[in-house]
Amino acid sequence: MSDSSIKARIALVGNPNAGKTTLFNALTGKNQKVGNYAGATVSRKSGTFFTPHGHKLELIDLPGAYSLDPNSPDEKITRDVLIGDQESEETPDLILCVLDATHLERHLYLLLQVLDLGYPVVAALNKIDSAEAQGLSLDPTALSEGFGVPFVAISAMTERGITQLKHALRHPFPSPPGRLWKGPAELEDAIEKSIKLAETKGETHPTASGLTSVANKGPETKEFIQKTRFEFIHRVVEAGLQRPNEDSLALTDRIDAHALHPVRGWIIFTALMLTVFWSIFKLAEVPMGWIEQSQEALQGWVESLIGKGDFQSLIVDGIIAGVGGVLVFLPQIVLLFFFISLLENSGYMARAAYLMDGVMSKVGLSGKSFLPLLSGYACAIPGIMATRTIPNAKERLATILILPWTSCTARLPVYTLIIPLIFAGALQQGLALFGIYALGTITALFAAKFLKPSLGKTEAPQFLLELPPYQKPQWTHVLRQVGERAFAFIKKAGTVILGLSIILWFLESYPKSDSDDPIVQQSESFNGQIGEIMEPVVAPLGWDARMGTAMMASFAAREVFRSSLAISYATDEEDGEEMRDRLTASTRADGAALYTPLVGLSIIVFFVYALQCLPTTVVVRRETGSWKWATGQLAAMTVFAYLAALMVYQTGKLLGYS
Amino acid sequence: MANFAKDLELDSALTLSQAAIGCEFQIRQVQGPACSQLRDIGFCEQMRVKKLTDGRNMLCTVCGTRLALSRDLADQIQVVPA
Repeated sequence: MSDSSIKARIALVGNPNAGKTTLFNALTGKNQKVGNYAGATVSRKSGTFFTPHGHKLELIDLPGAYSLDPNSPDEKITRDVLIGDQESEETPDLILCVLDATHLERHLYLLLQVLDLGYPVVAALNKIDSAEAQGLSLDPTALSEGFGVPFVAISAMTERGITQLKHALRHPFPSPPGRLWKGPAELEDAIEKSIKLAETKGETHPTASGLTSVANKGPETKEFIQKTRFEFIHRVVEAGLQRPNEDSLALTDRIDAHALHPVRGWIIFTALMLTVFWSIFKLAEVPMGWIEQSQEALQGWVESLIGKGDFQSLIVDGIIAGVGGVLVFLPQIVLLFFFISLLENSGYMARAAYLMDGVMSKVGLSGKSFLPLLSGYACAIPGIMATRTIPNAKERLATILILPWTSCTARLPVYTLIIPLIFAGALQQGLALFGIYALGTITALFAAKFLKPSLGKTEAPQFLLELPPYQKPQWTHVLRQVGERAFAFIKKAGTVILGLSIILWFLESYPKSDSDDPIVQQSESFNGQIGEIMEPVVAPLGWDARMGTAMMASFAAREVFRSSLAISYATDEEDGEEMRDRLTASTRADGAALYTPLVGLSIIVFFVYALQCLPTTVVVRRETGSWKWATGQLAAMTVFAYLAALMVYQTGKLLGYS
Repeated sequence: MANFAKDLELDSALTLSQAAIGCEFQIRQVQGPACSQLRDIGFCEQMRVKKLTDGRNMLCTVCGTRLALSRDLADQIQVVPA
């Protein structure tokens, strides 16, 4: 019979790329909870599962770490949880250490450090199928004897060995083997005294504190301990692991010979990126058409149901036009996240970072900054959080400050609305989108070059990166990631965008004018009045009052630019006409076309550079620990965006474009 | 005599950046400001390392793991032919 109360807490520990998250998902399934560690933006993932004996256990997925001597804020959380220094987090009852069987020796170092702390441990030898495919012969019994803890061979991806692993996690847990390596008598004496001192001081984890204080006595002691641990690992692994004799050229080697080549590598990278951007336009066409048709059908149905009046206008022109105008971009956003997740999952992202290191070093950053910048294409917030893996503090700050210039998906609705006004054909439109992303990235890199020296002197960033082997994407993982993002987007459309659409509709519809002419109504509405104030500010950019109002509204959320225009133009144009056709047909007071390619370019340039995302500003404040950087970034990016759009429009006009 | 043999071995040691591509080496010593970080990721004494590419950043494998590291870091790793 199963017992619903939690019997024990297990922490999942392992090196990055060991397959921790896959194992976490395999064990806990849908019983997961995501939160944050107190005082940190590092996310805390926990879940529950039952052992074959019916005991309920809680599993905490700790951030990946190479060792318990932290080199980044992520690794610090793992260390702090294990030594009991993490606020509002109890120390776990057992550690489930995930080891990559294909890179065993390297991963065992962390296991040995965990054992030093005196925890009971179960070791999961993950990726056993890949190890077997490489001809590696592992002996879990010999490893168990050597380390004094159970070793279970598993494949988290195919869920092979998960039942055996659950059996090994049965309660009561195995007794901890303690520290396995021994130093000379002098060192052992020092460690013993230090642990006793920590005990008398009442430290939470005296073994850890004692060992750490001895190791920190000098670099020589630390080096000695590191070497002794590796010597121990070497001895045990000789008995528990046999490598194949011939050095076969693995699939990863063959792919990397092209993917990391100084010329072919760049061709592959550019081709991949172009394919992604082209697909965003081409593949999304059909589902976008369905959403547009559904929106129109829904508007027609509501119009037939509710009589003409303010209520009908609120539902049709406010809510359906505003929310639908944003929801129509769901297929493009899903595709972008799908491709990013696919590239990450297959192991290609680390190769892109390797290639980019040469470019990044020219602006004082390293390839490590490229991965957060790439995440920024999806959303700036996870991108900023991903900078936690950058060990150099100045490099991290510079990356955070330039990151919002890598175009996130919230800008996509604006780009994909405006690009077809300038270019026809999916290929040209795809190239234009690629160009927009390149513009943001190149400017961000130039900004880093000028910004970094002003942040103070620092050591040149050093590049050290693991390149995981290429693997077939884990489709469940990819689909889960895409699903989460799609849900977040729909939720945003149903909450923030819905609320703002209602406000915008109200500002557009009130106060009521005596005239029946929709143009007069609009000019007398609150929006019209705001537009009048904004017009002198945005007129030098080639924009009209409605665009100015939409730009102001988009500071709450970028997507609202599209909703705001949809609501503005829904009130004075013929029914059933598509939004883009309405924009093309709209004119200035003198009858000249309003949305010319030059105006489109000016809008795009503004949106590439403006930081119109309050959650990003809040996260920058949290990550940098200062409002100075967060507000400075917001102000600087807004001013830069305005000046860039101004320069584009005015230069274009001087060159004879309208 | 034993000391002489060790000195002789260290004299013949190369840094990883000087090592030839495609050959297997054993790490003799890791010394420099980033030595702790290098050991944590797997570049520890006695480990076998194979250099795959050269350049500003080089690729190598340690215990089957493929790692990319900058020349500055590779200069801190002394190796001898395995």
